Amino acid sequence: MWSLAVHTLIADRGKLLTALVGVIFSIVLVNVQGGLFVGLIRKAGLLVDQGEADIWVGHKRMHNVDFARDVPRRWVHRIRTVPGVRRAEPYLVGFADMTLPSGGFEQVLIVGVDRVSLLGGAWNLTRGSAEAILQTDGVILDECESEKLEHPRMGDVRELNGRRARIVAMSNGIMGFLVTPYVFTTYERAAEYIGKEPDACSYFLVQTEPGADVAQVCAGIRQVAPRLEAFSRNEYSRISIDYWMTRTGLGISFGAATLLGLLVGMIMVAQTLYALVLDRLGEFGTLKAIGATERQVYSILLIQAFIMALVGSILGLGIVSGIQYFYSTPQAPIMVPWGLSLGSCVLVLAICLVSSLLPYYRIRKLDPMMVLQS
Amino acid sequence: MTVDRATDAPRAEDSAVWAEGVHKAYRAGATVTPVLCGVDLAVRRGECVFLAGPSGSGKTTLLSILGCILSADRGRVRVADEELAGLDEPRRAALRRHRIGFVFQRFHLIRGLSVLDNVRVPLVLRAAPPDAARRRALDLLDAVGLADMARSHPRNLSAGQCQRVAIARALVADPPVILADEPTASLDAVSGQETMELFHRLTAQDGKTAVVVTHDPRIFRYADRVFHLDGGRIVRTEQQPSDALACTAGV
Ligand SMILES: Nc1ncnc2c1ncn2[C@@H]1O[C@H](COP(=O)(O)OP(=O)(O)OP(=O)(O)O)[C@@H](O)[C@H]1O
Ligand SMILES: [Mg+2]
Repeated sequence: MWSLAVHTLIADRGKLLTALVGVIFSIVLVNVQGGLFVGLIRKAGLLVDQGEADIWVGHKRMHNVDFARDVPRRWVHRIRTVPGVRRAEPYLVGFADMTLPSGGFEQVLIVGVDRVSLLGGAWNLTRGSAEAILQTDGVILDECESEKLEHPRMGDVRELNGRRARIVAMSNGIMGFLVTPYVFTTYERAAEYIGKEPDACSYFLVQTEPGADVAQVCAGIRQVAPRLEAFSRNEYSRISIDYWMTRTGLGISFGAATLLGLLVGMIMVAQTLYALVLDRLGEFGTLKAIGATERQVYSILLIQAFIMALVGSILGLGIVSGIQYFYSTPQAPIMVPWGLSLGSCVLVLAICLVSSLLPYYRIRKLDPMMVLQS
Repeated sequence: MTVDRATDAPRAEDSAVWAEGVHKAYRAGATVTPVLCGVDLAVRRGECVFLAGPSGSGKTTLLSILGCILSADRGRVRVADEELAGLDEPRRAALRRHRIGFVFQRFHLIRGLSVLDNVRVPLVLRAAPPDAARRRALDLLDAVGLADMARSHPRNLSAGQCQRVAIARALVADPPVILADEPTASLDAVSGQETMELFHRLTAQDGKTAVVVTHDPRIFRYADRVFHLDGGRIVRTEQQPSDALACTAGV
């Protein structure tokens, strides 16, 4: 039955290709769209994902890493007493305006890190080093924001809320969900730029002892500092992402666009599969005339749909990884979770199987007598 | 030479194909077209009979009823020791698959399949072991003289060759009854003769029962008997002289 199905499938190359293009189109569309979406939304948790901290401690109602509420910095001492905490450092996040050479200004997000541990500092540096922020007025900018900030270069001096800042290192790919570029510097200088009280701080970044149970350490922190909240890295990253998901309806609009694309691709597949069957109705009639059961006829159709979905999915995923390799940038990262790939393949397979049974009625009605009368 | 059917007709149990009082009318909405009005017919095992008659006389209809493709409105039909009345569609499909081989006027080979795969189809439908099926199909292709075309595709074959492939397909599963509807009508005179010759040789050598629809009198000599159908009944039965083939073959 397989050879029968395969050979009759490849007999009509034109139609086969059209159907394959439909499958590939759907797979590529869903995965690239989904990948772009995941890439975009994951930026919302970028600082948390890359911040090297196992636990993020902050205001009781903390809900997004970029929008922090102040907590008293001195509480860091309480956190350091919790068993399992290897290190806890204050961390500052806040907005400031950067003046531009043209006379304009751009809002930036200042990130201040502990000057000894540099915990949560900039990463992926292409020029200079992370320690460079210890230099007088030292700040780190990202190359990807070059356009917005009017092409800052190493050594350039800018003003942040009226205070001097000198570019001492540059990173590549630190782009958040907001349009405001990140500027990394020391905790103390960040407090000056943002205009915070010296005792105010946004978060405490905690690294745990090796082997410590993160959930347990979080519980311990809540106990010693009941007015603080503590989340593991993954939790807080997800919370930061959910902030945008639930408040903007981004997920729905992206999802709807993706589904629409999927629908178009699948209609293409269903239609060609249908045409493929109608085209060969005579041959199915012949098979029925010489004694094929309805079940056998359907198994041919199902096998063909299965092959189509399989080959199309493999080719489609190949193209997706090609696109990902060549077109994923920090501005528009394409992150395709394997669950999405797998899910899209399963969905495509299901739709192929269903649409191959669309001509069910035509086949059912098919009178083998036609073979004798044509 | 016309023979009295009443005395000549074999009994139902001795017949490979047997019909009695078969009626069939096509209905399209309110219009009813009666086609068969009481056909009686009995074909002995191993016999090769032809169904002849003017166009529209119902030959194809009768053949379809004998081939379990169409149901009679009235009357009894037995094919390959099976009473057709009351069989449901799966049983009828099984009967077609196991007991009957078909040869169609337009060959009806499957486009995407090679010659060998086409011949193999009935065995695939019967879920025969692939290796045995392959060997059997190659044997049949050898018998119809197309062994070296096994890998070709039907589109590269002449009409005569296609019909030989179809004959191989009809015989491959070794059914006791072979039904053919105008097997030579799509062929020119020469390949028609050759095809009929081959058909006759292969069915006769395995003792198959064959019913062939034709209105080509030139091939009547391959029949043991010729039934003439007209006005929905068999109006005449001709017994071919047993030496007819030998005579013409010798010419
Ligand atoms: N599906 C159908 N619906 C209605 N009428 C039909 C149908 N099939 C055949 N007929 C009619 O039944 C009659 C017999 O048809 P049939 O095909 O059996 O004749 P035939 O002897 O095989 O003719 P031919 O020699 O032209 O093949 C014809 O008048 C035809 O028009
Ligand atoms: Mg006919």
